[in-house]
Amino acid sequence: MAYERRDVARRRMLLKKAIFSSTGGTGPETPRAPGHVVTGTVLDASPHILVIANEAGAEERFALKETTSAWRGAAVPPASLSPGCRIVLRRHGQRRVAERIWADIGRVTGTIVERTGNMLLVDQGHTRGRGLLVFSDRSSARILVRFPKLEPGYLIDVIGVRRGGAVEGLVPATSQPPYHSDHVPRAALVRGHVPDTISGSASWHEPIDDPPGLAGAAYPALDPSSGCEADAGPCDSAVSCARLPYLSIGSTLVVRNDCSGASGGVQVTACGSAASRFCDRCLTCGMSPRGRIVELTMASFVELGGDLHEGCFKTTIRIGG
Amino acid sequence: MLAAFREVQIPLLAVLLMLACAGKAVRAARTRSIDQGIGPTTMFPLNLRRPAAMVMCALELGLGVMLAATASRVAAWPTAATVVRLGVVLLFVTATAALIELRAHRPDAGCGCFGDLSGTPVSLRTIARSAIFCAAAAATVGVPPIRLTAGAIIPGAAHGTLEARLLVVLVATEVALLGALSPELGEALVRLGYREPCERRMFSRRRTLAALRSTRVWRRHAALLTSTEPTDMWRDLCWRYAAYSGQVAGREAAIVFAVYARRWSPPVRAAVVDAMTGELLARTGRRGEPKARRPAMYLGHDDVPVTTSRGDKGDFARTTH
Repeated sequence: MAYERRDVARRRMLLKKAIFSSTGGTGPETPRAPGHVVTGTVLDASPHILVIANEAGAEERFALKETTSAWRGAAVPPASLSPGCRIVLRRHGQRRVAERIWADIGRVTGTIVERTGNMLLVDQGHTRGRGLLVFSDRSSARILVRFPKLEPGYLIDVIGVRRGGAVEGLVPATSQPPYHSDHVPRAALVRGHVPDTISGSASWHEPIDDPPGLAGAAYPALDPSSGCEADAGPCDSAVSCARLPYLSIGSTLVVRNDCSGASGGVQVTACGSAASRFCDRCLTCGMSPRGRIVELTMASFVELGGDLHEGCFKTTIRIGG
Repeated sequence: MLAAFREVQIPLLAVLLMLACAGKAVRAARTRSIDQGIGPTTMFPLNLRRPAAMVMCALELGLGVMLAATASRVAAWPTAATVVRLGVVLLFVTATAALIELRAHRPDAGCGCFGDLSGTPVSLRTIARSAIFCAAAAATVGVPPIRLTAGAIIPGAAHGTLEARLLVVLVATEVALLGALSPELGEALVRLGYREPCERRMFSRRRTLAALRSTRVWRRHAALLTSTEPTDMWRDLCWRYAAYSGQVAGREAAIVFAVYARRWSPPVRAAVVDAMTGELLARTGRRGEPKARRPAMYLGHDDVPVTTSRGDKGDFARTTH
């Protein structure tokens, strides 16, 4: 299903290009595959070399420098990563040198459906199903400070370590919005055209059906009558509190990380219904002027210089490229 | 004349109190939450916000009704009237103090006085208006039962006495002053004349197809189509696309139409693409296209409870680069 969605996206981009390519300005920028990001499974880790099996099953070796950092629930030495860990690795330029590694990182973002003791069942929105979030004793106090209402209907966004089908919540990715997820505040009105560039925050999500290394973005304002994919119903997003223009699967965004300056074309591949409910602000390198305007895949987020354990970066998106 | 002016304050305050309650009730009905976004209640602990909002709404309605009921001799007088009017004074004094406090601690929050319309952050205007209400409420204390004599406003104006005319001028000035101090008035006018930009306008599939089929571009390509229903439809900003399968000189082709999101005679473009190779075979339609994009004008404030302590209210105008 997910691959079909990406095929639809590619086809739409081609057809749109056929209509607009020579008119200047309206044609989309072609998105590229992430070149600085590698995902896979750790086979062996020594103080100087990390050996992984990439998504295709091929073995790849990366040199570990003194500056290489790794995250697995907290900062850990890269050599301590055990075989079997799922990793997302950002390399130095095009070289086979690891710059930053995230191991077994997971995230649960959405609306709380049910709470049983230290376990939360979370609705992650259209096409992403439900996620299971587990708190340990050491992390629950920290998370409760930022998420005081762990009740059905309230929003949650926590980063942690993925263990099978559940995520052990460790780091709150934001502060809990005070409203019920069905009562997302109304966006301000805009007269005239929506501007070409919009600033806000970019977060990331774990792809459910796709391999983790794929580029793409979930967009919080998909056109209600176009739906999420060719054969699916409309995206169940709320009226996003950032008044975003309507787009569809296959639309292209140029996403710039305002913190690192990196930018690139990213194709809309999913419905960002969870992101549309968060009217929070990203506090990485200053406060973003509005809430979540795009939710990138892990690979695209890392490619654009984002740190997965921080959860978001300030961004400016240009629609259409 | 002064006595009549004091009399006028009673119905004026009664109507305002009932309107304030109605505004909050409409908001509560829309969001299905009484406490959401009602300004000063955000200073209460989370568990007290709902009761505080309910008490405030009930007080406004109760005092408004009682103020009107005790204006003449319908209800027990003078004790009940004095108690109600002192209650109104107390309410407005508390409200003024709460607004000053709100401005200091939550400069981004609106006063919520008239529900959805009061999303503008509390300013000196709002505080001044509340102070005028205090003075008006204080002026009503001790006013004898209202009688419809030549000295009262409507019969007096009808009788054409000089005092009555001066009274009309005085009341009109007061109402104009209150209007000038009310950000809600501007907000209400904006909402009355508001039209979504085309990027945010709902434009259904049915309407798109109906508009498309009435155009010359459609008729020119109709002979090429092998199906009457589109194989795919999607939206990108102001344009909605409809792709059809067709045949051109024995080659399988995709015919794609782009229809602008406008109700009357929308501009339409078309392109014919080879289905196998993606090669562009033909492209038509440029006339009557919309003019260059105007910059957006921001019409209100993000009606968003920011989850950080002091939120900067961003706007599209600022993010246009």
